[in-house]
Amino acid sequence: MSCLRTPHLLKEYFSDELSTVAREKIEAHVSACEYCRAELTDVLEAKEILEGWQQQKAPHWDRGSELFRREHQTVDQHLTFWDRMRWQLIPTSASFLMLLLVLFNLQLSSDQTGFTISFGSPAVSSSYLKHELQIFDEIQRSELENAIRQLEVRQDSQNMELIRSVMYKNQQDMLSGLEGIYALFEDQRLRDLEDMRIGYQQLMDSDYETLRSLRQLAQYVSYQE
Amino acid sequence: MHLIDEDTALVDAALKGSAHAWEKLVRRYEDRIYNQGLRLTGSRSDAMDLMQEVFLGVYRNLHRFRGDAKFSSWIFRIAHNKAIDMKRRKRLMPFVSNSTDQDGDMLDSFPGHSSLEAEEVFSERQNNKAILSLLSELPMNQRLIVELKIFQSQTFEEIASIQEVSVNTVKTRFYSSLKKLKTISEEKNVLS
Repeated sequence: MSCLRTPHLLKEYFSDELSTVAREKIEAHVSACEYCRAELTDVLEAKEILEGWQQQKAPHWDRGSELFRREHQTVDQHLTFWDRMRWQLIPTSASFLMLLLVLFNLQLSSDQTGFTISFGSPAVSSSYLKHELQIFDEIQRSELENAIRQLEVRQDSQNMELIRSVMYKNQQDMLSGLEGIYALFEDQRLRDLEDMRIGYQQLMDSDYETLRSLRQLAQYVSYQE
Repeated sequence: MHLIDEDTALVDAALKGSAHAWEKLVRRYEDRIYNQGLRLTGSRSDAMDLMQEVFLGVYRNLHRFRGDAKFSSWIFRIAHNKAIDMKRRKRLMPFVSNSTDQDGDMLDSFPGHSSLEAEEVFSERQNNKAILSLLSELPMNQRLIVELKIFQSQTFEEIASIQEVSVNTVKTRFYSSLKKLKTISEEKNVLS
């Protein structure tokens, strides 16, 4: 016993978008056809057995996190030139700008009329330059005079201090010198007195000898006579 | 936020380097991919290998993911292709054609469970064992169709797109697969 429609009907039975009409047609046939009914029961039972699967929990694993982190770091290390430069763009631009300022001698000046930005050496008239130089010269001169004045004042005070110290030194030296001279004179005087005493003694001794010689001479003369 | 939008947001964040987003994305799909691996390979270690290969493939191709498609469809397509690659490489199928599991793991051991829990787990896993035993009798292309249609709730059109065959062929194979599973089930019941 078989039905030619069974394979077609059963494969359509599980279709995802089976219309209500088509389903009703299949169910009508299945309820009427014993073979198709038995077949449908079999495949539904098989489906039911499979749907009895109990979900198992996956064993613990690192979920590829380590690989993910490592690979991501590797990706970071292989950034393109522009990716790397993106973060260095600001300092590089600033350096380049500074270089341009230096190369083109960019100047920013402000006066009563406002701000002025100029490239290269500023163009000035000779009269303005002369005037500026004169002012500069006067300022320099007054500053120089002031400096000289201050220097003189400072020099005077230093000189006075020096003289004072020299005089004090001289005074000290002189005092010690006088004391030395006095000691020397005193020493000399004592020595002279001693010499005089010795000389006088010698003189006295000599006179005595002379006197004795004269006495002897007188005695001799008297004796001769 | 809608789940699909959340998937897309996580993909975007992962592409920008967020490891947290990547982990969250993996957590959302790892159990489904692992169970898919179990049903397609019948082995915990192979299922684990398959799951890791799938997520590696997802990571490598994340930049190719377009938000116009569902992320779930995209990842199941990758899992489908990885399973075929593994089948070609390892030639492990049929994986539980006899009563001895090659790993001797998922069907017989219950680490970390009390006796009562182990009984429940045993019952659950006996059920899973029976399903694996049935699936092992199907050729890979039919097993994949059953997997995608019943467990991943993909439409026939999506399955046809993944397998690069016509929708009609997919429908026919699906019906044939269920019919064959019923026949095998009856045979095994008679044998047991």
